[in-house]
Amino acid sequence: MDYIAEGVLQALSLLLTGDEETWDAIFTTMKLSSLSIAVSLALGIPLGFLLGYAEFPGKRICRAVVDTLLALPTVVVGLLVYAFVSRRGPLGELGLLFTLPGVAIGQVILALPVVVAMTATAVESLDRRLSLTLLTLGAGRSQLALASLLESRYGVLLAAASAYGRIISEVGVSMMIGGNIKWHTRTITTAITLETGKGEFAMGVALGLVLLLVAFLVNGSASLLRRRVRT
Amino acid sequence: MTGDALYEVRNLKRAYGTQTVLDAEHLVIPERSVVGFVGPNGSGKSTLLRILAFLDTPSGGSLWFGGRTFWNGGDGDAEGRGSEMSLENARSEVTLLLQEPYLLKRSVFENVAYGLRVRGGLSGEEMRERVFGGLRTVGLDPERFASRAWYQLSGGEAQRVALASRLVLRPRALLLDEPTASVDVQSAARIKEAALRARDEWGTTLVVVSHDILWLNEVADEVVHFYGGKIIGVGPENLVSGPWGEEAGGMVLRRLTDGQILRAVRPPGGVSTEAVAAVDPGSLLLALSLPEGISARNALRCSVAQMLYENGTGRVLVKVAAGGLSLTARLTAEAVRELGLHPGQEVLTIVKATAFRWL
Repeated sequence: MDYIAEGVLQALSLLLTGDEETWDAIFTTMKLSSLSIAVSLALGIPLGFLLGYAEFPGKRICRAVVDTLLALPTVVVGLLVYAFVSRRGPLGELGLLFTLPGVAIGQVILALPVVVAMTATAVESLDRRLSLTLLTLGAGRSQLALASLLESRYGVLLAAASAYGRIISEVGVSMMIGGNIKWHTRTITTAITLETGKGEFAMGVALGLVLLLVAFLVNGSASLLRRRVRT
Repeated sequence: MTGDALYEVRNLKRAYGTQTVLDAEHLVIPERSVVGFVGPNGSGKSTLLRILAFLDTPSGGSLWFGGRTFWNGGDGDAEGRGSEMSLENARSEVTLLLQEPYLLKRSVFENVAYGLRVRGGLSGEEMRERVFGGLRTVGLDPERFASRAWYQLSGGEAQRVALASRLVLRPRALLLDEPTASVDVQSAARIKEAALRARDEWGTTLVVVSHDILWLNEVADEVVHFYGGKIIGVGPENLVSGPWGEEAGGMVLRRLTDGQILRAVRPPGGVSTEAVAAVDPGSLLLALSLPEGISARNALRCSVAQMLYENGTGRVLVKVAAGGLSLTARLTAEAVRELGLHPGQEVLTIVKATAFRWL
């Protein structure tokens, strides 16, 4: 049992002394997850808003497809993206395999359904009286849409928090597309997998602590947002 | 006080599928007037209010507003139909206060300012003045309330903020859908006061759907009665609902719970048991004892429940009750004085069997 306690102590010292290898994995994760969430939100919020706000033929089918994609397994996404970006694949010439942008593609595919579905739900569940109220105050069509998006902002933020949680904790895509290359594409989750396999607990625990902290922050803000959505 | 017609409605219909919920034959609402809509739930009054607010589209008939034609005769065809642009313009002159207020998830200030921002053209200082003025009109201290969040308000306060956000627009017509139905007494008083002030200060026309008949009779220039989607009369109306029974001699009768019987002439086609008849309050007579040689078929023993002054006619409306039936009679002030009427008093209510109008 001693090696666990020892591992935790070593982990703290790795974090506090600024161990380069440990901190590089943390910075890589932050860089990668920021890129992935930015693209997911930029694509997902407009799409989710359209899906929740507009009426068009095939809307129900779109909704069902998005809801199904929520359950995409990370390794399947990894496999899919790998097939496209590997040398032999249709996007092979772009050289995305074993790069952060390559991993980001996979993470966006994972996070996008979360953003779209939750944004659509937030917009759909707006009070029926909202549009009546805006109309009686003289709002036009575009003002109506803008105000509806603003009214659902807590729901949209909740979508962002949930999507970020999915991105930061996934390991399948990062491992398969990124390849866990030290100083390059090694992230918190892939590093933990590797170090644990090697029997090196210290670095795994250190990175695990950071990941837990991020997860708590994300979930904490999500539960605050959830309360605000209900008022 | 009142001027030209602000609204005119002719044969205005609204149907959902095969069910017609509104069939308003003719109604004129003069500018600067206060008009009340009353009637049971589902009688079409709120539907008409929404059409007047340009939130709903009639299925047929004509509507004029401020001298402009919005819908004309078209039975669902595009011709004679208001364009989206003209509807948006009209909506900037008319505003409706919903029965259940909805506040934007913003501060009280931003809620009241929203309509002004949509319209544009006000400086920050002017905006602040307008918003604060609006809050004061509904009895909310701007210093205390302007920066509050939407969830920090009681139901009555929320309704007052919603009203303030409409008052600051200085609308040409302010439509109120049961504005005081779900708020506390104090808020109700401030809402009524503020609405009337809009009429006095900016000449706003008020159309009020309300069950508060006392208030409407006091402030309204006209009270319009709705039943089954139709306008059945202007001014106070008595509605007598069934069950009706047939009687020999071309009569139908309605038994009251105290055993008394009300008789009405059977209409040519007969009546269903659940039919409803209207009786004009002017056709009811009140007496302390039964006059001799009277031809009227009905002389009901009633007690006076309520007396109120009728705005516009200068008459007194006397509400009498007997056996679960409540009727309103319109009397002159002299008649009330001569009879010495007071609430609780026993009187005979005399109604001719021909006074019933079947709806």
